[in-house]
Amino acid sequence: MTKAKTLVSSIAFACLFSTGLTTLAVAAECSGTIKVLAQPRDGLTLLEDYKSEFEKLSGGASFEIDYLNENDRRAKTKADASTIGKYNVYYIDEANVALFASAGWVAPLTDYYPAEYDYADFDPGRQKVATYDGKVWFAPVTGGGDLMVYRKDLLEAAGITPPKTLDEYVAAVKKLNQPDQGIYGTALRGQRGSGANVWRWMPFFKGFGGNWFDGKTPVFDGEQAVKATETYLELFKYSAPGSQTGGWDEAVGAFTSGQVAMLIESTPLVGMAIDPKSSKVAGKVGYLPPPAPLTGGGYGHGLAIGMKANKDEASKACAGLFVAWATSKENEARRLEAGQFSELNRTSIMTSPKFAELYGPDLGQALADTGKVTAVNFWQNPQWPDLGDRWGIILEELITGTRTDIKEGLDELDGFAKDLVARSQ
Amino acid sequence: MSQKNNLPAVFLTPAMGILAVLALVPTAYAIYISFQNRELSRPDGNLIGFANYIDLFSDRRFINAIGVSLTWEAVTVGMTLLIAVGLGILLFECVSPRTRNLLALLFLVPVILPRVSAAFVWKFAFHPLYGIATYPYKAITGQPLDLLSNPATALATVALVDVWQWGLFFAVIVLKLLETLPPQPFEAAKLDHARTWEIYAFIALPMLKAPLISLAFVKMIESLRAFDLIYVMTRGGPGISTETLDMYAFSQGFIESGRISYASSMAVLMMIATSIAFTFIWKRVQ
Repeated sequence: MTKAKTLVSSIAFACLFSTGLTTLAVAAECSGTIKVLAQPRDGLTLLEDYKSEFEKLSGGASFEIDYLNENDRRAKTKADASTIGKYNVYYIDEANVALFASAGWVAPLTDYYPAEYDYADFDPGRQKVATYDGKVWFAPVTGGGDLMVYRKDLLEAAGITPPKTLDEYVAAVKKLNQPDQGIYGTALRGQRGSGANVWRWMPFFKGFGGNWFDGKTPVFDGEQAVKATETYLELFKYSAPGSQTGGWDEAVGAFTSGQVAMLIESTPLVGMAIDPKSSKVAGKVGYLPPPAPLTGGGYGHGLAIGMKANKDEASKACAGLFVAWATSKENEARRLEAGQFSELNRTSIMTSPKFAELYGPDLGQALADTGKVTAVNFWQNPQWPDLGDRWGIILEELITGTRTDIKEGLDELDGFAKDLVARSQ
Repeated sequence: MSQKNNLPAVFLTPAMGILAVLALVPTAYAIYISFQNRELSRPDGNLIGFANYIDLFSDRRFINAIGVSLTWEAVTVGMTLLIAVGLGILLFECVSPRTRNLLALLFLVPVILPRVSAAFVWKFAFHPLYGIATYPYKAITGQPLDLLSNPATALATVALVDVWQWGLFFAVIVLKLLETLPPQPFEAAKLDHARTWEIYAFIALPMLKAPLISLAFVKMIESLRAFDLIYVMTRGGPGISTETLDMYAFSQGFIESGRISYASSMAVLMMIATSIAFTFIWKRVQ
């Protein structure tokens, strides 16, 4: 049966690759090196093995990718795009797409994304976060929502059924927290940043009914934000050491090293947690949508065409060709083959027999279920990084105890938000 | 004769020209945009006078950053010199010349390490769950030790790494300086039954006053440029407890807001403050 499945998958892959080769036949005329500024992703590293394929496809152009971690990548892309514009392609994300688009730092993607690469095949949620002001700005390289990931063995030993509501979740986290045995109830993100601690806090805020703005008036400074922060701080009492000033890496590292019972994190965690190469708890992991009323944090990162480095239409077309090739079905199929779960974005790949064969039906079901509660939690505005980062600092102060008054922190943010709106007018 | 008189100008002009382009142009531009309201996302800007400078003094993060920067300077410069002098004397007094040379070589290793690499190595070493530096505490008490997440210990922990890099290096310099001193004053003091600490406190260190002051100046300037170390280890956190002035300026300019005019006003104030402080200290020392 397994052999038969493998045969079917191989035929499917062969079909996919032959489609790709047809595309390759439409060679463009590009030259030089396409410079890309990105953050480390296995999928992008894998592309480097196929440089010659792109050279052939583009008519002679090569590419060079510079990598920086998330916060540094955000700072450097902003600095580069607004000044010298050295990079042809930028790695941007849901949090700064509005800023890059409204400042004119990136070109509308679909104007230069060849139709045969089928942009519509991307997961609809990811397409949504790549869209701002009615236009698409990046092609996804990763994205998704949130999942509650838990240790089946620890929950069974403690007689706990996987929680479906937030109250059950908080109770389970408290019960499972056993620091003397090196097991912590959960792992959150404490590190400052709109994409770090604020990202994990927002599902609580939105889940409790909070909103950021009503038109241009800030409305977040209410009981929902206070309750969300109180709950977040309460859970932090049971969060693994190091997470108080840590981000995704620290939270995921604590879980995959076997020191955390359950956590709510972005969907790529599952791929890492079930992979024996990167996880000590592979085979003991269960996953479900986040407990109600939490919303999932819909996100997407991807490649966009820089405006300054691509001065003419031909350059933009070459950068567009690179983005299309890098995010093509063929390359995504290679990522699937390489076991890069978090790098998969296309519906055709995630519904393929190979995906089901590799990850089983449970994960597919969990992803489908979590899609129903995935939402855009942040303020979709060019000034979101500014506001989100400021709240990130206040939140980190609350987490580490240098500030204790939640309402005072929110009032400070409210004043900052009003000033921010005034400055933008 | 006239040609001879022009020679210094001939040699100095290209160097001064390059310096003017590299140093004065960006400085003049930073001063200019500090009087504007430019942001990265908006290429145009208007002149707004001293508004950025006035705003700074009601900005709690700026006030906090001044305190953190001053504390950082005092702690790292003071501790580095203390370690350097103490260790230098210890090596000179207790270790054979052959072993001294070997230890001197080892003490040079930390400062040769790129600062970012050192910061990453120590960040992992201080990790509460897997860190080698925190392991003994965890093994003895059973509790994790999270030094970098604690506002009371984070700055001191980062300062420890800075002192590890520079204190050991400066210890080698102090050792070599001690080796160059003439032996007669030491022998005379010993004949007068002076104790070892008295010999160093009243003879050796006063003889080394000028080079030690130079070392202090070098360290003061170096400590002002500790951005990379703090950025990698804490990013200014927890909260804003390790956020120095240069880090806050960078944060405002490039990480959070893109408010380059506001960030430039901080940079200009830092430049003025350090110029005045260094001139004052230099004059006092002379």
